Formats: sequence, structure tokens, C-alpha cells
Amino acid sequence: MDVDRISSDESEGFFNDFIDEQLNDLVEDIINDGDLDRTDASGSDLIVEVDDIEPPTLVYGDQGGGGAGQGGGKPGDEKGKLKFEVPFERFMELVANKLQLPNLLKEGQGKIKEVSYHFKTFGPVGVLLDKKRTFKRALRSSISTGVYCPAEGRFDVEVRRKDRRYKVPQRVETPKFKAVVFYMGDISYSTFGERLELEKRLLNFTHHWLDFNYGKNNVEHRFFVHDIEAYEVTPEQFYQVSNIGGTRASLVFDLVSNIAFNEYDPATTNFYGFYVGDGELFGNDAKEIVEIIKEQLHPMFNRLALVEIQPSRMSCLNAEVSKAFGSDRVVRTCALKSKGEIIKTIKRMFEERHA
Amino acid sequence: MLSLRSDPKLFELAQRVEYFAREKFNMTLPEMRFFILDPMEFAALLEKNVYPTSPINIWEGKSIANKKHRIESGQESALYYEVVQTGNPSYAYLNETNSALTQASVMAHVAGHCEFSELNVLHDSDMDRTEYVMHLVRKVDLGRQQMGERRYIDYWNACESALPFIAPNSQYNLENSIDKETTIATSTMESTEAPKTQKPPVSLVDETLNALLKPGPAKPFVEMEKKRERHEALSRRGYSLRAPCQDILGFLRQYAPTSQAEHAILDYLYTAHMHQDFVVRTQIMNEGWAMYWEKKIMMELFAEDAVRGAIDYAKVFSGVCYPRPYYQRNPYHLGYHMWLHIEELYREGKMSLDYHEETDLDTKQEWEKPEEKVDPQASMRHLVKSITDYEFLRRFLTVELVERFHLNRLDQRTAQQLGIKNEDIIKADRRWVWLRPEPIKNEMLGFFAHFYRPRIYIIDTDYLDGGLLLMHRDDGRNLRADWIRPTLNNLNRIWKAPVYLLSQNKLYATRADGYKESTVKGITFEEAAERLSRQQQPFKI
Repeated sequence: MDVDRISSDESEGFFNDFIDEQLNDLVEDIINDGDLDRTDASGSDLIVEVDDIEPPTLVYGDQGGGGAGQGGGKPGDEKGKLKFEVPFERFMELVANKLQLPNLLKEGQGKIKEVSYHFKTFGPVGVLLDKKRTFKRALRSSISTGVYCPAEGRFDVEVRRKDRRYKVPQRVETPKFKAVVFYMGDISYSTFGERLELEKRLLNFTHHWLDFNYGKNNVEHRFFVHDIEAYEVTPEQFYQVSNIGGTRASLVFDLVSNIAFNEYDPATTNFYGFYVGDGELFGNDAKEIVEIIKEQLHPMFNRLALVEIQPSRMSCLNAEVSKAFGSDRVVRTCALKSKGEIIKTIKRMFEERHA
Repeated sequence: MLSLRSDPKLFELAQRVEYFAREKFNMTLPEMRFFILDPMEFAALLEKNVYPTSPINIWEGKSIANKKHRIESGQESALYYEVVQTGNPSYAYLNETNSALTQASVMAHVAGHCEFSELNVLHDSDMDRTEYVMHLVRKVDLGRQQMGERRYIDYWNACESALPFIAPNSQYNLENSIDKETTIATSTMESTEAPKTQKPPVSLVDETLNALLKPGPAKPFVEMEKKRERHEALSRRGYSLRAPCQDILGFLRQYAPTSQAEHAILDYLYTAHMHQDFVVRTQIMNEGWAMYWEKKIMMELFAEDAVRGAIDYAKVFSGVCYPRPYYQRNPYHLGYHMWLHIEELYREGKMSLDYHEETDLDTKQEWEKPEEKVDPQASMRHLVKSITDYEFLRRFLTVELVERFHLNRLDQRTAQQLGIKNEDIIKADRRWVWLRPEPIKNEMLGFFAHFYRPRIYIIDTDYLDGGLLLMHRDDGRNLRADWIRPTLNNLNRIWKAPVYLLSQNKLYATRADGYKESTVKGITFEEAAERLSRQQQPFKI
């Protein structure tokens, strides 16, 4: 028999390709309906369920269904369902492919370098002697010259100058990426219920998306909420917060602007700002926000997106901001009317230019 | 995959097993080739229907992915007892992780299976089976390139729908259902010759008068028309249906219009799966036979110290041969003990005419009159050569054996889940419930009528001008409704003409103009069979 190894790898690959296609189709549903908010910042795997596949045939009415399989992740086993653990990274790749979002790593690449020195090579001159390598060379040459010959009772090892090996520092330049993201959420009474849920879902996805693009350790996420006051909260608090009081949004923009200016170096940092709220502002609040953006945030920020969640007739923030910024490169305004529009909103938040 | 020769100790053990099987026990064996596999190779082999290669397909991929996950997560052990593809030569596979003792028992077990396949009335031992399937795999691979990926996947998946309908050993298999040009020619010759002997001497006057004055029941014109139609059908298609055909995939493989590549797929799927029909019809006898000879050979190996660990073997053996209730019968346990019982019957002369004609119960009970000329093992081999599981159980399974083999014993929880009525229970304790043993034999025999699957037959191959009409033999249970349409669509893809299904009083149709369901006056299977035998159209709207 001319078979070296019995294997089902080809068929398994075939099946995995099929599952990948399925996952691709499911990305939208997962973002809209999935429990993405349960995926913590450590990027744990997502559990994805799809209907099981089975060749149809003529069976009795009470038969059929059942089984499990494996795609990009590991399969589970539940009757009638294929259950997968999709690694977070893989999921984000699929999202990127599906949504065709810009690769945010480009920002700052090649301009700012982080320089470090690694002792990875060795040479005959230098400061730091590598004793192990030096001894090895000395032993080798001592054997060849006969200085070291245990059979004849000679155990000397002669270290000559040319045997010496030094650690040589090598200059390593790595592009320095640093990003700080300011999430601003409106938690006033008017954002009660579904609006607040949508806010959190949208920002949660944004949070993961930026982590994925910059690398988890290169992004700092800072969360702010406001009602009639603005204050910073921890991520845990942000995702658990419930509605508090009235609305004054310009305070949170002001706070963010102060922190960005005072705590970070604008030359080496990518700034992102995302504001989500119902846009129902009163008095001069919206105009003050426009002023803050124009004078303080716009020059520094790579992207500033303002999303009105389920806007009403009283929502005026986006109208005011759009008047001032139109098709600006940095500022984006969008409206999220329902859960089904999350994808559209995300695309708009991150798109390179105004459509 | 390693040849057995790579492990000299195992190779020697295999030779001892073969020696005892062939020389000591006179077993009829084909050439047996053993190979050593690692656990993942084993898992893959099982997904390939115990052939070393298979064409690429999504279903195998799904199963292996699931199996890998189960093995990795500890839900499945990846230790398989024995895997053999019978045929001449037979290919048997050993798991490299097994101990020498287990390998010896597997090899002895395999010898039992090989002999059974060789001797059994259904004779499941064709020449170069594995090699032929590997050849078909190459043809499918070539066909895949010819068809292109998309069409290949679609066609393969369509064929998967027809896979459960393989019945080469059914009463209604291709041979018994289809008239081909060759078969019809033979039968015509026979039928024309037979009446000649009964013909009275020719008398022209009498014949003419009789024809005019006493028109007989025969209508030569109608008969001739029928014959002409039948021959027309044969000359047009090369076949005609004389009885319902249960071997649906076999029929499609022979008569569906296919390209070479499509035919290669049908050929592979049919050939690789057709032996399951043999397995399901003989599983109890087959596994019992293998266990019987396994134990005999192992005892010889222990006696000559070729392997050690009789206690461990006893544990493994009893672990395999444990009783289960009748609806989940363990073929190893039931088959093994049935064969032991039959051996005892022959040894004590209880299969003789004298024993059966004895009317005194006490004498019968104490009967021990071995017949001199009867060798129990030769008689058992004769049974293997002449019957399958149905007859095996019908003839030898008695009420006493049902109780002795615990076929009527269920655990309390299962009995509650199944809603067993009190009047069906004869005994109960804290853990078990014993059912009335009398109906159990019939329940077990019922399995061989339907194998827990709906019975589907082809009853017309030219329905409404070229359509394939299938019939679901009504047994009071409905078919899964949402799978009827996709299944018929898949069959339509293979048949390339309309496909109809008659189930109870519903007619489901997949045609070029779409899918339709209509209510009709149903017919029974017997009516359809009878009409076919009379060369009539079995079903008309």
C-alpha cells in the first residue's frame, strides 16, 4: 500500500475554510447581537454558535440534527449547533476584512523611533567580555596547539588575545506607537435604557478595535462620563454605570482637552476621542463644544467622533458640530438609531474621508 | 502508518495467531495484512470508512475536527479496540498505543471477522477491495479537477442525501428489481420454450372455429402491446422495473445520466459504503463469531506463554462483553453467548430430530446425547454459511435466553424515562426493572425489517415522462418534513429529471418548475409491488 500516513487533514482544511466563510458572514451579527461586551480587555476568545450542518435525507420526523465542528477555533458539542471558540485576534482580523476599516498603525509610523541597544552580536574588540565564548575558543585552540592534552596530563588552557570575544551593542530602532483614547459617555437621565446600552456596546467595540490595531500595551484607554458634571472613571465603572442626572456635555470635552494637553506629548502621541450621547443639549452647551474642538482638540487629535444615540428632535450636538466642521479630516459626526446600525456607525467613525 | 514487520515482536505474535487460526482451528481465512497506526491516524481511518484514502469532502472534515476536539478535551479516548476492512486481502489496523496483550487479542478477533466475511451467505469478501477503493479515490480526485471545486462540492453533497439508501442485500435489491436487456432476454427464451410442451396438436379448422365461437380469456393484442412497451422501454433505457427497488443509490449509480466525473463520485460512495449493509444484517453473528475465536486463540497463546496477562485479558473481555437491554443490544455480548449456547446445543445433541420429537419434558431437560458424527464447530460454520442475524435470532433466541442475557433488564431511570407500564414489568429492585421477556424477540426481529430507518423504494422510473417516483412504505410514522424538499432537490441533481416522493397521501415533487406538494389518494406498498409485477404503472394521479 503506497500510503505513508493516513490523515484527514485535507478534508479538515476544507471544513475549516467553510467555517471561516460562515464566520465572515456572521461578523455583522456578532457585532450587533453578540455578547462582545463580555469579552474583557485581555482579549479572551469569543464563543460563536452557528447552526449545525448535516446532509438532508429522508428520516423520521423525530430524528436528525446534532454534531459539532471546528473552524478557526475549537469546537464544542451541543446538539443542533456548531460551537466555536474564535480567538479574539482572529475575530478582529475578520472584522477588519469585513468592515474594511483603515489600518490605524500607519499613524506615526516611520516618524518617531524608539532607540534601544541589544547585545546580540559578538566581535574581537569591545568592552564587555563574553567569558563563555572566549573560553570555548581558547579551549579549542589549546587543544589544537597541544597545550591542553588530558591524555598526557596537560590541563592548561591558554587564553590568547585573538580568542577574546566581546559583546557588541547593536542599535535597534523601533517605531514608537503610542495612542491614548478618550471615551466620553453621556449618562444623564435622557440616555436611560436602550440608549445607554447602545453607548456601551459601541464604545466597547471601539475599545477592542483600537487595542487590536495598536497592540494592547500601546494604547491607553481613558473613560469619562458626564451629567451636569464631568469626571473620569475606571473602565469597569464605565461599563457598569447607570443614569445619574441632567446634561452638560461641554465640561467633558474641556476635561479631556486639559488632560490631553497636560499629560501627554502631542508630538509622539496619537489622540482619539469618542463621544456618545443623545445629543440633547441645552443653552450654549453645543456651541461651547464646537469652540473647544476647534481651538484645543482639533489640532492635536487624529480622530474625534461624536455619535448621537437614537437622536430625537431635541438633539442638536451633531447639527452644530457639522455646521462648523463639514467634511473635516478629523471630526466625524454620526447617528446610531438602532442596534442594526452599529456596523454603519463604526465604519463612519473610522473612515478615512467623509462620504 | 507502519508495516507490522517494523515491530519484530508483534510480527511474531501475528504469526502465532495465524498459525492457531489456520492450523489448529481450521479457519478459512484470506490473506491478512496488519498495519500499526498512531491514534490520530486511527481516528482518520474510521472517518474514511476504514480505507487508507478518501476524496476530500466537508463531512469527513467536520467529523475529524469534532473527534480531535473530543480527544483533546478528554471526552474520547482515541483507543479503539479493533478495525478491519475485510476482503482478500483483509487489512487490519493496530493502535500503536495498545499493549502486546491487546494487540494479540485484536489480531485474534480480526481472524474471526475475516472468516465470517469469507464464509457467510452474504459473502462480504471481494478480491482487492481496499485497492479498488483507493483506485476509485484517485478517479474522484481526477474528476474533481475536471468538474471544478464548486460543482464537485454540490454533486458530492447531493449524493450524501442518497447515502442511507444503499441496500445491496435487500429483498428488493437491484438484481431482484430491475430487468436489464440480458435478464429479459433469458426470461423470454424460457417463457417461449415452456408452453411448447403443453401445446395441443395443431388443427387449423378447430383453431379458427374456436377463435370465432369461443373467444378465450387471453387477449393476445393487449399482451403483445404490453410486451412491445416493455421492450421499447428496455431498448430506450436499457432497463425496466419489475419490483420496487430499495437500493436507490445503487440504481442511480447504474442508470442516472452522469458525466465521467460524476459517475466516479457515485461509484466511490456506493462502493465505500455498501458493506455497511452487510454489517448491519450480520452484526450479532459476526461480532459473536469474532469474540468466540478470539477467546479460543488467546487461550492457546496463554498456554504456550506467547503473551502474558490472562487476568488483564479477562477484565478486558468482560468489559467488552457486558449485557445491555434489547433495544441497545451489545452485539459482542449477545453474539458471543448465543454462539456458546449453540455450541452447547450441538455438543449435547439438542439439535437432533430425536430431541425435537421428544415429548417428555423431564427427558428433554436432562438430554445429553451427543451425536457422533456431528462436530459442533463444523455445524456452527454451516450456520454461518447459511443464515444472517434475523434467522439466527428467530431460530435460537428463546424466552429463557432473553432473561439469561439480560435483554429484558433496564435501569430504573431509563424505565421511567421510557414510560414503561406496570403491566409490562415482571420484577423490579432498587436498581433494575425486568420486562416481560415474551415480546422482546419479536421487537428485536422487527429491527431487521426497517433498521430504524424509513423504507424508501423506487416504484417508477418513468413517472410523468421521465420522472423518478419514490415511495415511502408507510409504517405509521411521518418523515421529517423540512428535509423532504432539500433531499428531493439533491436527488433531482443526480437524476437530472423530476423526482417525486409518495408518502402516505402526499405527493412531493421537485421539477424544473419548482417544488410542489399535493394531496393524493395513496397506495399501499403491496399494491405498488403487485402492479409492478403485472407490468402496470404502480401509481397514477
